[in-house]
Amino acid sequence: MTTTIADLDRARNIALDLSGWGRRFAFYQPRNFAFWGYLALVGTGIFLSASRLARDFNAYGQAIVLAVTSFAIYAALFWWFTQRIDKYAKLPAKLMVVAFLWGGFAATWTMAANANDAILALYAKAFGQSWALAWGAGLAAPLTEETAKGSGLLLLIALAPRLVRTAFDGFILGAFIGLGFQIVEDIVYAMTSAGSQFGANQIGASIGTIILRMVSGVAAHILYSAIFCAGLIYLLGRPAEPRRIGRGLLLVTTPILLHGMWDSLAAVAGPNALSLVGLLIAVIVIALVIAVRVYELTVARERDFVRDVMAPEGARNAITAGELDAMAGDRKARKAYRKAGRNRRERKRARYVLNAAYDLADELAAARGADTDRVRFARGEVARIRAGRPSPW
Amino acid sequence: MPDPGSDTSSAGLAPRFEPDVGWVPADQRLFGLDRRTIAPTVAVFTLAILMSVVLPVINAKVAYHDTVNAGDIIELQGAVTFVPEAGWGITSGVRAGHAPLSGEYPATATVADGDVTFKVHTAPFGGDANALLDQIERTSAALNRGRGVQVTGQPTTIVTDQGKQGTTAQVTGPQTGGVIAAFVFDGRGVEAVATGPSDIGAQPTAAVLRMIRSISHRGKGTE
Repeated sequence: MTTTIADLDRARNIALDLSGWGRRFAFYQPRNFAFWGYLALVGTGIFLSASRLARDFNAYGQAIVLAVTSFAIYAALFWWFTQRIDKYAKLPAKLMVVAFLWGGFAATWTMAANANDAILALYAKAFGQSWALAWGAGLAAPLTEETAKGSGLLLLIALAPRLVRTAFDGFILGAFIGLGFQIVEDIVYAMTSAGSQFGANQIGASIGTIILRMVSGVAAHILYSAIFCAGLIYLLGRPAEPRRIGRGLLLVTTPILLHGMWDSLAAVAGPNALSLVGLLIAVIVIALVIAVRVYELTVARERDFVRDVMAPEGARNAITAGELDAMAGDRKARKAYRKAGRNRRERKRARYVLNAAYDLADELAAARGADTDRVRFARGEVARIRAGRPSPW
Repeated sequence: MPDPGSDTSSAGLAPRFEPDVGWVPADQRLFGLDRRTIAPTVAVFTLAILMSVVLPVINAKVAYHDTVNAGDIIELQGAVTFVPEAGWGITSGVRAGHAPLSGEYPATATVADGDVTFKVHTAPFGGDANALLDQIERTSAALNRGRGVQVTGQPTTIVTDQGKQGTTAQVTGPQTGGVIAAFVFDGRGVEAVATGPSDIGAQPTAAVLRMIRSISHRGKGTE
């Protein structure tokens, strides 16, 4: 059967409709109950954290400045990386900020911190202090923190039902919720360390914590929440992601188990420092491998959306078949496309053409597939760069 | 494969109309709100209340049953120990010989008897007992800004059963009174604070003094 351009255009419209790609996000929605719920819970968290920060700053100012500066740079790097992997049907940056704030203030201060303290104390009462010190964190934090972070995705779906459509959207938003949680938790850990030596030697007492949290954070909350939230989307089902309960349960429980393993490392390793380091590395590697697998599992649908949105451009010769394959392919496909250039100049140009083609895809998504001035301009840019003409702008 | 045309536009394809983000279908309105957003928000609020209210309340209702038996010794990080009073409840910290699986004793231990609590904290400190008390005073003043528990009265010397010298002073706060003691053993500082309601008197009880004097360190050397 022959596919016509009209068929491709219809497939594009379906893909844009299903994916939510290019749709606008408005945070202020007074008729949305989730908006008020979000404001109340995040607002409470901001108030609690500001109160603690204001109180502690007077005593541990040096350590707090060091921690906030260090973790701000750290957060910026992770922010850049997470946005970079969301290169297909992109989510609006404003929605990512909303996710980050949920993780940083509601999930931490309003929810998990209270629950963790209570559960740890209950464990100590029920099973003794030694047992609680060894296993309490591993059997409290994974449940409270993963559910507190993941519950934010329910509000985000209610706030942006036309945008959060795929498990990959859950993966990306989960990563930003986890990033917020991680950064705020790290700052609190640094503040606690600053006071651990009676308030003396603040920098020395907190620097070790800051470095350890930075290193271990590579495979911690960001990754756990990304997997959890991808699983939550599979559990709930979305217009572009059919419900898969088995897969959803697996992905929701996996980060809880990983988190539990992480928090129980000291108890499992015992007093042997080598065992602790070995287990620490093993858990990080396992977590990273799982995260990569979940990324590959969820991103396939997004790549299909890119192919559906850009296929009419290929049919109309705005982009080549090779460019379409590279755009809708993985990192290797894009690399292969770039490397196909005969010389450095061509390879460089291939990279620019791909970037311009992604810009065109974003413009098409924002225009819901219509042929607007912005779309025509973006299309012209692809042609200009491919021809090697300088920009008139 | 479609026939490639020279026209690269998709003219004629009008985007499907989409209502504004805040628009709510008439059949989904409940007191002006989008009824579809109520269930997820209530679910999240329920979880938040469970975590921030229900669990802490349950914890507050469950009493401690871990009471000190005669002869028990509490051990902290850095081989610091003290002998708690028999019958007091252990609210944090572990007995000597019952280290957590990590092998590392915690830095803080607290025992309580009714409204009176006795808390011991240890950490590295490069100074003597007077310097440690000054440091604790400075940090406490900075944290509480004059509103919380403060060190009051003249510091006096206290000697432990092990023969090591430390410094002690009274502490007072809003409806709270008690005593603080500071020791430094081989670069390891120890802070012991006993507080209780101010109406039972600011003078430390004999039990508190016994616990302070029982503080010891297995390392060699003194303050």
